[in-house]
Amino acid sequence: MSLSTGGGDTASDVYLVGAGQSPYGAFPDESYRSLFRTAYESAEQSAGGVDPGDVDEAFVGTLGVGGRQLGLAGPAVTEHVGLHGVPCTRVENACAASGYALRQAVMAVKSGMADLVLAGGVEVMTDMSTEATKYWLGVSGETEWERMAGTTFSGVYAQMADSYLREHDVSREALSHVAVKNHANGAKNPDAHLRFTCTVEDAESGPVVADPLTLYHCCPTSDGAAAVFVASEAVAQSFDEKVKISGVGAASDRVGLFQRDSYTSVPASKQAGEAAYEMAGIGPANLDFAEVHDCFAIAELLAYEDLGFCERGEAGALATSGATAIDGEMPVNTSGGLKSKGHPIGATGAGQAVEAFKQLTGKAGARQLDDPQRGLTHNVGGSGGAAVVHVFEREDADPVADDENTEVVR
Amino acid sequence: MSGESQSVGVGIVGAGIYLPRYRIDADEIREAWGRFRASGVRSKAVAAADEDSLTMAADAATRALNATEVEAREIRCLAFGTTTPPLAEEDPTPRLGEFLGVPADATRRFLTGSTRAGTQALLTAVGTGALPALVVAADCPRGEPDSPEGHAAGAGAAAFVLTEGGATRLAEHAEYAVDYPGTRFREVGSDRVEGLGVSAYDRQAFVECVGGAVGELGEDADPDTVALHAPDGKLPYRATKVLGVDTDAIASVTPVHEFGDLGAASPLVALATALETGHERILTVGYGSGSGADALLFDGDSAAVERSEAESEQVTYAEYLRLRGELTGDPPAGGGAAVSVPSWRRTREARYRLVAGQCPECDALTYPPEGACRACHTLGEFERVALPRRGEVETVTTTSPGGAPPEFAQFGAQGGDFAVAIVAFERDGQRVSMPVQVVDTAPEAVAAGDTVEATIRRIYTQEGVTRYGTKVRLVGE
Repeated sequence: MSLSTGGGDTASDVYLVGAGQSPYGAFPDESYRSLFRTAYESAEQSAGGVDPGDVDEAFVGTLGVGGRQLGLAGPAVTEHVGLHGVPCTRVENACAASGYALRQAVMAVKSGMADLVLAGGVEVMTDMSTEATKYWLGVSGETEWERMAGTTFSGVYAQMADSYLREHDVSREALSHVAVKNHANGAKNPDAHLRFTCTVEDAESGPVVADPLTLYHCCPTSDGAAAVFVASEAVAQSFDEKVKISGVGAASDRVGLFQRDSYTSVPASKQAGEAAYEMAGIGPANLDFAEVHDCFAIAELLAYEDLGFCERGEAGALATSGATAIDGEMPVNTSGGLKSKGHPIGATGAGQAVEAFKQLTGKAGARQLDDPQRGLTHNVGGSGGAAVVHVFEREDADPVADDENTEVVR
Repeated sequence: MSGESQSVGVGIVGAGIYLPRYRIDADEIREAWGRFRASGVRSKAVAAADEDSLTMAADAATRALNATEVEAREIRCLAFGTTTPPLAEEDPTPRLGEFLGVPADATRRFLTGSTRAGTQALLTAVGTGALPALVVAADCPRGEPDSPEGHAAGAGAAAFVLTEGGATRLAEHAEYAVDYPGTRFREVGSDRVEGLGVSAYDRQAFVECVGGAVGELGEDADPDTVALHAPDGKLPYRATKVLGVDTDAIASVTPVHEFGDLGAASPLVALATALETGHERILTVGYGSGSGADALLFDGDSAAVERSEAESEQVTYAEYLRLRGELTGDPPAGGGAAVSVPSWRRTREARYRLVAGQCPECDALTYPPEGACRACHTLGEFERVALPRRGEVETVTTTSPGGAPPEFAQFGAQGGDFAVAIVAFERDGQRVSMPVQVVDTAPEAVAAGDTVEATIRRIYTQEGVTRYGTKVRLVGE
């Protein structure tokens, strides 16, 4: 589906005018509220100050790992940061919760009912025993079937990896190259959870979590929060920094891998990507960077193909070639991705938008790309039951030439 | 009491034997404890971490039905005997019946509390007169790890389909009981059988009861083989004199030397083994402490038998302790993703018997059979169809206990890494897939393209309630 049709307010553009996040990591001294506050203040500061009275609406993504505030988790954090009385809705779509919260914010502005909307997310995942944490890691699989077969997500993504590597005759080392790249990027990100670099040998020799995935092919469980401000074209004029949200696409699929048409592609990602490209009027060739959902290294490879960065079966070669490294043709996960930056489930999607905002406003520090014009974020819930893709571009982005190939590679 | 079998003409038409894959040699136990206290047991069968008397019963019963033309839905009586039911209170026969597809209105009988439960199940089924009958005995007794009972404890099951006119006719039966306290007992609340260990006294109880029951048979039994209860490899031979047979008549069919003490299943596994080898006059004698014995004389042609064919795998003593759960703690406290017992129950047809939904619009299969069609997305009413029990691995991973949901913590601690596959089943040209564990194999031995067959196993236990469902095991081409 495309949001680019319609008249009146729906035809005007929507902008990110501020974005910030808490550090991701393990923080015994923080709570879900205090983390959200850190993200909120960071976003508010990046926007050059926001009067809470100007915020019309809020969407907060969280899965609710650990149980804590399962009901009314949204207002629990927005009231905490002083967004008093602002209508807030909690969005739950597993690991894509705040990617979808951002999409809800865009839709609220496009509907004309709101001019300034907060979209964010939060998760606390490290304040329980390892065993208790695992209870929560499989809650977005097909709980009555996949989980009862004995898998959490590592097992389901391992099944995808087994299928992919076999179908395309790709070696497991390709997965390790993804891990090495993302750790190299995350080491430059002060907000990243795992700020160390690693080698292909490290990744290959790590303990096997679920064959063929080693520990290095799996993201950590993290605490963290992220928040962005989404504004209508009119309201955006009063902010210094503006990044256009030029494309939004989303799609759902069966929750269980075994119920889907493919084990080597995430159909919802493909559908979401195509919709976002169409709305933005661009193709993958027009992107300067992407933040993709690499909860497991195989997920990043599948994203390359589902989002049209390469042909089917070519993702392993693309990762190994260095093309997606920070100095490559198409840098992917400059933030470190879920692998290194971390994966506080409810915060991840909004956190990707924070990275896009920083890159496009020149505030990405040691990992700043050279004058990027457009970037994409890709956020997946579960093993592919939900996916959401956003395309961002600088306000003054170079126009896309008519003769440029905007066709998505199939 | 004795008598001609009232329902003259009732006979066994098919039998099944199930023995778990794992074996431990007596030497392994001897090495661990410095001695081995189960005379005459050379090795024994060990149940996997996800097996119990009920899953073994389901497997043996499936095989018994396979050996006949009788369908599960035709069964009118289901009788199950075991000393090790999964729960101290709760009739396991409704669940066993649903594993197999036995109708809800069939007569059900559950016998327990004595190793006689196997032969009692057989006699009870015959007594109901409801035919065809399915009789199952399964056991996995447990004793203290250093006790004679613990050293002898094996695991196995046998099942029989009885019909009017079944080939192996039940000619006669009798029983005998007399008070002998302390020969073998299990205290309330305990899962360990014990005995006083007074050898001469135990022997006397056994010989008196076995001899008493056989002596009550109306005619001279004159069996060519004796399927005799065997708690160890020595005691049964004490009865040769009173039975009037040589040791070979017992030794040729007893499971005890290779598989250990099979409890209530012991004489029935021996009976099925005798059928397998074509014996024509088989005296079956069950014995239980207390003490009492049942004697059943079969004659006629041998019924067909299907036996579990899995290649056995030797385990070390440490692996044995793990498999039996002697060393594992309780599963961790609860958390997310709980599947309630009621919601579990409503899917049992799919879980036990692989019932899928066939779309009336496009014929595609959907598993589980609920919601919209997986292929054309029509939200209608599926036709419910049973998938074949054999399928093909599409993709597989090996999950370490660290990567599994904590509900599987105990299973992982007992059985180690396990394989989880997505398996495709095909029916009339339509394929449908489901995620399942692959059991009874080293997980790394499983690969896409492998053929597997469904088996019922324990999934996990929460709030004291064990969920059972389908897993698969590799089958040879």
